[in-house]
Parts: sequence; C-alpha cells; structure tokens
Amino acid sequence: MLVSWNWLKNYVALDMELSELESRLAMAGLNHEGTTAVGDDFAIDLEVTSNRPDCLGHLGVAREISVLWKQPLTLPDAQPVAAGPSIQDSFKIRIDAPELCNRYIGRIIRGVKIKPSPQWLQDQLATVFQPINKEWKPVNNVVDISNYVLMETGQPLHAFDLKELFGNEVVVRAATDEEAFQAIDHRSYKLDKRMCVIADKESAIALGGVMGGAETEVSDQTTDLFIEAAQFEPLAVRHAARTLNLHSPSSHRFERGVDPAAIDWASRRCCQLILELAGGKLDQDVIDVGNPAPTPEAIVLPLADLKRILGIEIPPDEVERILLALGNDSLQATDETISVTPPSWRPDLTRSIDLVEEVARIHGYDQIPEDVSVPMAPSHRTNADRVQSQVRQVLTAAGFDEAITASMVPTEWTTTFTSWTSAAPLVSDTPMLKGADTLRTSLIPSLLDTRQVNQSLGNPLIELFETANIYLPNKASLPGEQWTLAVTSGQSFFQLKGLVETLLDKLKITEPLEVTTAQSDLFAGSQGVELQLNGKTLGFLGDVSPTSLKQFSLRSATSVLELNLTLLLEAACLVPQFVPQSAYPVITRDLNIILQEAVRWSELEKVVQQTGGQFLETLQYQETYRDPERDGEGTKRILFSLTLRSHERTLTGKEADEIRDDVVQAITTELNGQLLA
Amino acid sequence: MDLTQFLQLLDELTASAVSTFEAAQDLETLEAARIDFLGSKKGQLKSAQKQFGAVAKEDRPTAGQRFNETKQGIEAAFEQAQQRLQSAGEAGDPQDQQFDPSLPGQGLQLGHLHPITQTIEELKDIMGRLGFSVADGPEIEDVWHNFEALNIPAAHPARDPIDNFYLAVANAGKASPSNDLLLRSQTSTVQIRVMENSEPPVRIISLGRVYRPDTADATHYPMFHQMEGLLVDHQVTMADLKSVLRLFATSYLGEDVHIRFRPSFFPFTEPSVEVDYHWNDQWVEFGGAGMVDPNVLKAVGYDPQQVNGFAFGLGVERLCMRRHGITDLREFYKNDIRFLHQF
Repeated sequence: MLVSWNWLKNYVALDMELSELESRLAMAGLNHEGTTAVGDDFAIDLEVTSNRPDCLGHLGVAREISVLWKQPLTLPDAQPVAAGPSIQDSFKIRIDAPELCNRYIGRIIRGVKIKPSPQWLQDQLATVFQPINKEWKPVNNVVDISNYVLMETGQPLHAFDLKELFGNEVVVRAATDEEAFQAIDHRSYKLDKRMCVIADKESAIALGGVMGGAETEVSDQTTDLFIEAAQFEPLAVRHAARTLNLHSPSSHRFERGVDPAAIDWASRRCCQLILELAGGKLDQDVIDVGNPAPTPEAIVLPLADLKRILGIEIPPDEVERILLALGNDSLQATDETISVTPPSWRPDLTRSIDLVEEVARIHGYDQIPEDVSVPMAPSHRTNADRVQSQVRQVLTAAGFDEAITASMVPTEWTTTFTSWTSAAPLVSDTPMLKGADTLRTSLIPSLLDTRQVNQSLGNPLIELFETANIYLPNKASLPGEQWTLAVTSGQSFFQLKGLVETLLDKLKITEPLEVTTAQSDLFAGSQGVELQLNGKTLGFLGDVSPTSLKQFSLRSATSVLELNLTLLLEAACLVPQFVPQSAYPVITRDLNIILQEAVRWSELEKVVQQTGGQFLETLQYQETYRDPERDGEGTKRILFSLTLRSHERTLTGKEADEIRDDVVQAITTELNGQLLA
Repeated sequence: MDLTQFLQLLDELTASAVSTFEAAQDLETLEAARIDFLGSKKGQLKSAQKQFGAVAKEDRPTAGQRFNETKQGIEAAFEQAQQRLQSAGEAGDPQDQQFDPSLPGQGLQLGHLHPITQTIEELKDIMGRLGFSVADGPEIEDVWHNFEALNIPAAHPARDPIDNFYLAVANAGKASPSNDLLLRSQTSTVQIRVMENSEPPVRIISLGRVYRPDTADATHYPMFHQMEGLLVDHQVTMADLKSVLRLFATSYLGEDVHIRFRPSFFPFTEPSVEVDYHWNDQWVEFGGAGMVDPNVLKAVGYDPQQVNGFAFGLGVERLCMRRHGITDLREFYKNDIRFLHQF
C-alpha cells in the first residue's frame, strides 16, 4: 500500500521526520518497504498484513499515526446536499445473490460536467499510483474522485453512466457459466457462476468488486451518474480476480474485507466531492439493500492477561488510552478487567488476546526484555537422528556426496523401478517443477538424473547418496512415507554390497543379510537383488540395465542401492554392550573346497557356521577361482579361512585340525564338496 | 651370580653397545652391531638375560628393573645412531634423492554432507542445548493438521488450490481442494500432532521439507526446509520467546546479538511478530514467531487459560545462503558435485 506524505497531512499533523514515521510505523505493524519521491511528495510503501484491511486507506494509516504520536485525527466531511428528486422514485436495486454480495448502496447525481480533476487531486493520486505504474494518468474528475475516496477510505466505489444503464434498475446476481463480459479495460472475459455481476435490464454492466464494464463507463459525454458502494464477498472476488487474472485495487480490498459501517459514509464522501468538483444535483435519499453492518460485540480484557502473555506490566491507564485511540469505545474498567467494543473497521478484534496484541504493538515490543531466564529442560536425541548420523558417517567416509532432490518427479520415472510398490503413485494437479507432478516411489531415478547432470558438467567422480522419504500409496488415511537411503555409484555390485555390510556392522546389526534375485527393468540381467533382514525387505541393490542407463542418458556403468532406513533403525543396536575378549591366541586354518557352481556361498557359510562349534571365531571368504581342466566343468573352488579361538585356554593344533576335519566332512556330506589336498 | 655381578655385566654391556653404535659409519655396520647386541636369538642382551635366572630370588625385582633400563638404553642408542646415519644419507646418498617429500600425499576421498544438512544439524545442536527435542511428522498431511487446527479456516486464501500441492491417487480422478491430502506447506503441522498426543510441557523443534507452488528462481523453490520451534507450558511469556531466540541467535552467530520484534500476522499465533537480529550494524530478518493462538491450543484439547506458549519458524535455506554467501537457491537442488565439495 502506497501512502502519500502530503495526503496524510489532511487528517493528522506530521511533525516528525519522514524516516521517523517510516521506522515507527514499521515497529507498530506497517512494515516499511521503501519510499519514492514523486514531485514534492513522497510515496511511502507500507506492507499491510491481511488482517488489517483498515490500513488499505490513508485514513487508517493516519489513525495509526495519531495513536502513536498522540495527535488528534481529523475526519473529512461526508454530508452532500441533496437537491434532486428521491432516487427511490426512479430507480431500483435488487440483490439476487446474497452469498456473493452482502450489501449494495446506490446514489444518483444528475447534470455533472466531466472535465479534468483539479491539480491537487491529480497530484495526490499520482503519488500513490505512478510509482506502481509509470503509464498512470488521471482520467477525469468523476473517475479520479472515486479512486480518491478508494485510497482515502479503503472502500471501492464505482460510477456508472446512468444514461447507458438500461431500465433504471440494477440486479446483483451470480454470473452464468461462459457469460461474456466486456470490462472497462476493453477486453472480453468469460465468467462463471461463482462470480458476481451487476446487471441492468439487458446485460452485466460490472464484474462485482473487480472491474466496471465498458458499456457504462463514464465518458466526456456523461451527465448523469449512478454511484455504487457495496460489500462483495471476499471469496467471490478472490475467485474472480484469480480466475481472470484481473487484480485491481478494488478486488485487493474486497478480498480482505471492507468496513461494513463505512460503506454509506464512503458513498456520501464520494458524492460530496463530485458535487464540489463536477457540479450536478444529488437525488435525495439512498437505496441501501442487503444486510446492515453488524454491531461488534464487546470484548473483556482481563488485565492479568497482559503480564501473563507479554511478561511485562503495562499501566491500566496506558492500556485504556491505547484502546480508545485505536477507535474502541464503550470502555468499562474494573480493577481486573477492561471491556471495550471494537471499531467496525477492525474485524480482526474479537477476543481478549487480540486486544493484548494491540496494546503490545502500540506500547512497543521493545519494552519486552530479551534476557529473562528460561527454565532448563532435558532434550534427547532421537534414535532416528542417531541412525541417520551413523549412516551419513559411513557414506561420507566411503566417499559419497550427499544430494537433496525434489520429492515430485515426472510420472515416467515412477515406472522405472516399482519394487517398493506397484500401486499407482500420488499425483498433484500442480507440478512442482516442469512436468514433475508425481510423488516419487523411489529415490533412485532422482539420483540417476543427478548423476546425469554431473556427467554433463564433466565431473569425473560421481558418487551420490540421499536420505529422504518415498511415498507409498496405501489404504490408510495418510499414505505411507518410507524413510529411505539411496546410492548411485560407479562402483561394482560387491563394493556396494560391502557398503551395506559396513552399514550393518556400524549399526551393530548381527542378523544375517540375505539376498534373493529381484525382478526389475532397472537392473541388468540377474544383477539385481532384493536384500532381506529378519525376513523383511531391507532394500534393493544392483547394476543398472543398459535400457535404464539410456533412459537417464548415462554413459558409464552405474550401480544403485536403496534401503529402508526405518528397518535399519529397528534392527540397530545403538548402545552396544561390552563383550570380554579372549586373552588366548588364535589359530587359523585355510580351506580350499571344490564345489558345484550352483552351490552358493551362503549355503557353504551356513554349513560351516553350524559345524564350526564354539571355537569358530570368524569365517572369512577369500576368493573363488575355476579350473575346469583339473576339477571338471561346472565346478569352482572356494577359498576361505577359519579363525579359531577359545576363551579359556590355548587351542592345540590337533584341536584345530579336528574342527577343520568336521567342517570338511559336513561340506562333503551336505554340499558334495571336496577338500583340495 | 650375585646381584652386583649381574649389574656390572649390564653396565659393561651398555657402555660397549653405546660406543659401538656411535662408532658405526654406515647403516650396514650399524645393522651388524644391532644384531650383535639386540639380536633376538644370539644377541648379547639376550645372553645377559639368561644370566638373570642365576640371580638370587630376593634380588630379582631390582635385577629385572635394571635389565629393562639397560635394554631401553641400548635401544635408544641404536635409534639415535640410526637417525644420525639416515639424515646423513639424505644429503649425501644420491640414491635417496629419489625420495621427494614435496610430492602430494595420497589423500582420502571423503564425501561431503549437503550444506542444508549441515545447517539443519547445527540448528538441531543449538536447540538441543536449549532443551528442545526434535519431533517428526508426515510430509503428506490432511487439511486438519495443515490448516484447520492451525486456525486457518476454509475461506482463508492460504488454502487456495493454486497455493498448495493437493494430492490424488493417479488415474483415480483429478486432485481438488475438496481433497483431504496435500504436501504440507509448513512444519507447524508437527506441532499439532505432538500436542494432540502429549500433555504440556511441550518443548520441541521440527525440521523438514515443506512445499509451496512457487516458480523456481534465485530466491524461491517449490520445495524448501523449515525449522519450527514450540514451547507450551504454564506461564510462558513473550519475554521467554525473545530470550530463547536471543540465546539461539547468539549461539548460531557466536557473538552476543540483540533481538527485535516487529508486529506481523500469522493465523496460528497471536500476538504475531517478525523477528530480526542485529548483526554487522544492521537488522537482519530471522523468521516469524508469536504466542500460540488460543484457537490452536483449543484445537488440540489444551485449556488456553491454563497453559500457553510460543512458536517460531524460520527458513533453513535463507540461513544457509546468508552464512555461506550462496546467491542462488537453485544451487541447493542441482547437486553439482563441485558445489557440494565447497562445504
């Protein structure tokens, strides 16, 4: 809201410096956005919060100034002399859509002379309109006056050329869908039934609260005026302004609500100025339809609330002064309470807490201390935070950089990898970024895309991870959000698998990690696996297929990993317990076993663990190699080591050999393996 | 052998070893001398140790202590001689010129945490020290938690479809404002969930992603991160709010700073204020704050006459940009590795 320094002087004395005015208003709730010099005047840009429509006019701002500087506020006159016949004899107004328009007031002035408005009026309007629109020019005396009263009071007004208005009647009704309307900007708009129009006998002549029509526009030939002052419903005006992208000073004010008790005052003020500056005769009486202004209800402010909420004492007489100066009336005070009736222009004042805020902002928030002692309280770190921190430690130590990518992705990305869910993903009507309107069901596509971005930037090493939610639709009231870790890498399958094992080790998860083949177009051949922990899906791991590499324009081999972090959190041991270590030496035995290709390490591992007995400390895989000429086709040799140790004594070589022999025996029996001599 | 003899043997051994090591003129001679004295099988020290058994039992502690001292002394003399010969070699031996210590070391390839994560971790740290625990909540919310309970009625412009990401299941009809689900537009939703499920005192922060349909530019992105704080208890005042925020700003900036309140408007707080802190001779915008609106307290089943509280919120990106001199918000979500490596 731009206010004119000179204009404000009409209502309140400005004895302070401009800069003092700016900063004091800012500290009382009208944030100062900047000041522009216009001629010999200043346009002061004040940010008006949506709860303060009263400050969308100069009078409201002047009232704030009068309260802050304890100066009297002078209201202009609004008593036009009516010399014509009664309007009620010649004109009718009807509201057919009370849900779109609460109140409508009409007056008629006949015999005006349209001409340029006087310089002082042009100057004041220029101050508040030109800084926003360099092309702004005054129109004529009548249009300028209606704009003047708008900027004075915050009440929009509209003057129609009465002779262009057919049938001596206006009806306030809902528009019909697809109804065409030509606005004063001489562009045509298609309306819908949630918008409010003012219609004469023939057609819509104004889009209520937003803009007048071209047909009844006041022109140089106009002699008779119909003056509208109304209260349109905020939602209807907002809908129209947004749908048609037609934002005006009027729509801005109706959206926030006008002072219901000042509509008639603004109408009279407008007529008075027209009579003064354009001549003519005002019809007697007024047509005022719709609901009159409600009487505001009294509010009781318990004085103890001031200290209870603000933490400071404010003397009751200061509280009374502030409340009265702001326009509250019917003040009644007791030792414990102050009761007032709030002014009609302050719809935001309905509760005692609202009065507490009023008193506080005028008394000054600088009065509130910033050094009281706040009681101490315990706070704890959540287990999720601890796990997240350990995961990040492992990943950054392993050389992975953390990415943060958008939660919404293009729909086609959600079909790349559907292993977490096959349900249709959630979508929004509003895309987050171009084409990205679908909530992701995996982080992997986002990271593949980030990999491509870095590839195009020529970054040599692209190792990325992200921890974020993925969104899994389900039948519950809120969709599932799965806390997830994803990795994309140029490293091998087994390097990424090793990363998972390191993570489990770091989180002291001792349950075995199991793998099964995962079917997904994302993975190359059988190179994708599902990882399981305690029989639950921990995640997926694999090398990206050529098709998917192509989808994301990736040139080099890429592996991916995605884990359910909540499952890791459940399994993590965050407070490890001490285990005494054996003081006795270790004995190792290396084994080289010939096995059929189909036998997996996991099977071999299981047999060894089962037969190794209490002294088997670790089982360490070494390597696999193949020698078909000596061992036959379809076989492999697996080399591994046993580490044996007792907690009670030094094991003998003989004992170690016996354990080895037991293990070999079991492998031979159960897996048909042979020890290579 | 008595103790005196054993000790004498040790003294002679030390003297002999020290003079032999000092006399060595190259590393080979020194190595031979080392084997002679310190060799693990036939070294003279080993031989001396074997005499230890012959010392009378009551003298053994003394003998043992002296033996260890001797051993340490001889080892130290060896190391000294070795260093002397090695450093001489550096200057003199042409072969050792191949060793170029000015070559770069073999660094570790460390990963980097995203600057937003680093900022969030610092905020959690500071607020944790001030007694605020981290609370979490869903990103997909219903209108009750995102609007109604926060005193944002149906007619409020903030609920407009074009200002929110309302959701629907794909292919199951278009998303519309009557739809109950949306991506949260603020982390205040977590406050409601925490208060609904616990009794005062409540002292929490919530951090996370929030979503508003802004066109991406240097200062806007449709997804960003917020930190929201909430303290509800008996007898909480705006002075407490100002003091906590001052402690926070002072902790974050590392110097005593002052706090300023400017009146503002948020549906879920009354009174509402914008918070500035004073830094480098100017007031810097910090975030929004206020006393929790009685309607919010009622919505979660608290009695506003019995308890009250304060809430504050701030944008993580803005804080991070100011601290690191980042000028374009989009950098955060491009994830250029060269950008990530700067932090």
